[in-house]
Amino acid sequence: MLSIKNLHASVEDKEILKGINLEIKAGEVHAIMGPNGSGKSTLSQVLAGNEAFEVTEGEVTLNGQNLLELETEERAREGIFLAFQYPVEIPGVSNLQFLRTAVNAMRKHRGEEDMNAAEFMKLAREVCKQVDLDPSFLKRGVNEGFSGGEKKRNEIMQALLLQPKLAILDETDSGLDIDALKVVADGVNALRSPDRAILMVTHYQRLLNHIVPDYVHVLAGGRIIKSGGRELALELEEKGYGWLGIKDEDAADAPAN
Amino acid sequence: MKPAPTLSSAFLHPAGQSLPQPLLALRKQRAAALLGMPLPTRKTENWKYSARHLKLADDMAISLPAEGKTGTSLAVPGYKVVFLNGVMLPEASEFPDLDGITITSFSDLDEQEARELAGRLDHTLTPQSVQLAQLNSARFEDGLLIRLQPDAVLDQPLYIIHEVNADASGSAFPRIFVDAGRHSRLTLVEEFISSGSNGQAQVLVNAVTEFCLDEGAHLTSIRLDMEGDSIQHIGATGVRQQRNSRFESHCVGFGGALRRHDLQVRLEGEGAECKLNGVVVAQGAQHYDNHTNIEHVVGHGNSEETYRNIAADQAHVVFNGRIHIHPDAQKSNAEMNNKNLLLSNGAEIDTKPELEIYADDVKCAHGATIGQLDKTSVFYLVSRGIGRREAHVLLTMAFINELVAQIPVPAVRETAQTRLNQFFEATFQEA
Repeated sequence: MLSIKNLHASVEDKEILKGINLEIKAGEVHAIMGPNGSGKSTLSQVLAGNEAFEVTEGEVTLNGQNLLELETEERAREGIFLAFQYPVEIPGVSNLQFLRTAVNAMRKHRGEEDMNAAEFMKLAREVCKQVDLDPSFLKRGVNEGFSGGEKKRNEIMQALLLQPKLAILDETDSGLDIDALKVVADGVNALRSPDRAILMVTHYQRLLNHIVPDYVHVLAGGRIIKSGGRELALELEEKGYGWLGIKDEDAADAPAN
Repeated sequence: MKPAPTLSSAFLHPAGQSLPQPLLALRKQRAAALLGMPLPTRKTENWKYSARHLKLADDMAISLPAEGKTGTSLAVPGYKVVFLNGVMLPEASEFPDLDGITITSFSDLDEQEARELAGRLDHTLTPQSVQLAQLNSARFEDGLLIRLQPDAVLDQPLYIIHEVNADASGSAFPRIFVDAGRHSRLTLVEEFISSGSNGQAQVLVNAVTEFCLDEGAHLTSIRLDMEGDSIQHIGATGVRQQRNSRFESHCVGFGGALRRHDLQVRLEGEGAECKLNGVVVAQGAQHYDNHTNIEHVVGHGNSEETYRNIAADQAHVVFNGRIHIHPDAQKSNAEMNNKNLLLSNGAEIDTKPELEIYADDVKCAHGATIGQLDKTSVFYLVSRGIGRREAHVLLTMAFINELVAQIPVPAVRETAQTRLNQFFEATFQEA
């Protein structure tokens, strides 16, 4: 489904990604782990098409289509979804208006009719329930005044609503207490399907106790330095990143799980 | 050296002959005071940013004919008074027939009433800061006096449609005076529109509305400024408030060749409060200049002011918000907030909050910002498949949504929204 070959990317002339290679097939769940500053979030942003990052080399294809040629909104319509590490607050645009606009933009792309307000409301309420978000959140401004956990649940709710082909979860576990983590993980597990792939970017392994990945990759210094099965994550948890010869600047701040 | 241009040409044509003598006398007196006044230039402080948009031509001197048919028939959910070219058209108007409210043309006032009115006109405004709006008092053909007896409540909004016909050059001077008795209530909607522009005509609209609120009166003023691009509009709204009265203003302005509105509020009785909301959008080469002034004359007054401006293309928007707290106005609360959004590199917004505080026990807060659409927010929206253009529209609308939503008459809110949507359509072209 997703194929990344020798991907290099820079921000403000500073190279962050230095040759990423990754193959993800439909139905698979991949986790990318690594210390802060290793390029995990950059990879997520580049795949989603954030213009702040410049791709200098390499190629990315989604089901054979050159992803790098597409605008952000076109990538989304082709099935890329990024759950933001820091979801943006947009006062003045209601969550409902935002979500309905997004759903109808996707439908238009597929040549389908707009979904009417009543149908949409029904659907939105259902997905809210799935992530334990009160439907009253639909009426509020996008992420406006949401707690950290509510923002993350709102992201997963959007993924459930938009049904992407590839869901990229950028540090979706950060800032969540254990109950919220469980709710978010249930939402992500509900997304798992034979025709969908999931790419999780995370600093800590605790999310992987709830969403069990098929593959784990360690990103350091802009390159994937080690890949393996889920046992790799457990090994990292036990031994820390130092075991792989990488300095984890945040190791001292790591919560004891 | 060429003498500085003055307003003298504005007085070449005799007019206002139907007015009762005291009002005619007032006109003459004002005209004499303005005759030699030089036009504002960029060196004139309160016209600093807008003088370059002011292009008064001799063609404008003649008053537009105070007769004819309105080009638009607006059905409104309330009472309606139609002004055409600055003068009320009784046949197109639908007056309320309620005890306690009278709506009278200046020309229908008897000598005694006219004398009383002449003694009250212009006292809500500070002459030196509305020098051009003063022209209205020297030139109005007629006017409308709205009187609310104590405790009178108008059950529906009163609409005043100010239509100007822009086929021929000339000027219009609509004038309204609202005298709200104790504990009376009124919502006044003023819509400024124009019809039939041929693009060549030089048209000036100079509109003045005054509100006097007696103790405990509640007035809501909604002003939609929607005239055609070519029209130059100079307007002023003056408000005086007695004890425990409340004045609420919602202004939505669309830019044009020249748009200037002065809003001046005097809190003269304890416990008086005002809330002033304003939205301005301008595109192309349009201009809009809002000057507001709130005078806290006595203590225990509250004022809350929120203005949002949006400038696209090469448009130019000006906001000057002054709050003046007099020495005796202890325990005053004043809040002013002004946010500005620039949608292009060629657009310009000049904003200036001015606070003059002479009392020591007051709460006074102000804030002004100028920014562009937030790139992270745009990325967030487009990452969900929303088109870039639509994302820009959503975010721009979000900037003013809160204020539009506060317009208390649904039909007016819809009218404003429709016009705003047209603005967005034109501003954010399909890529």
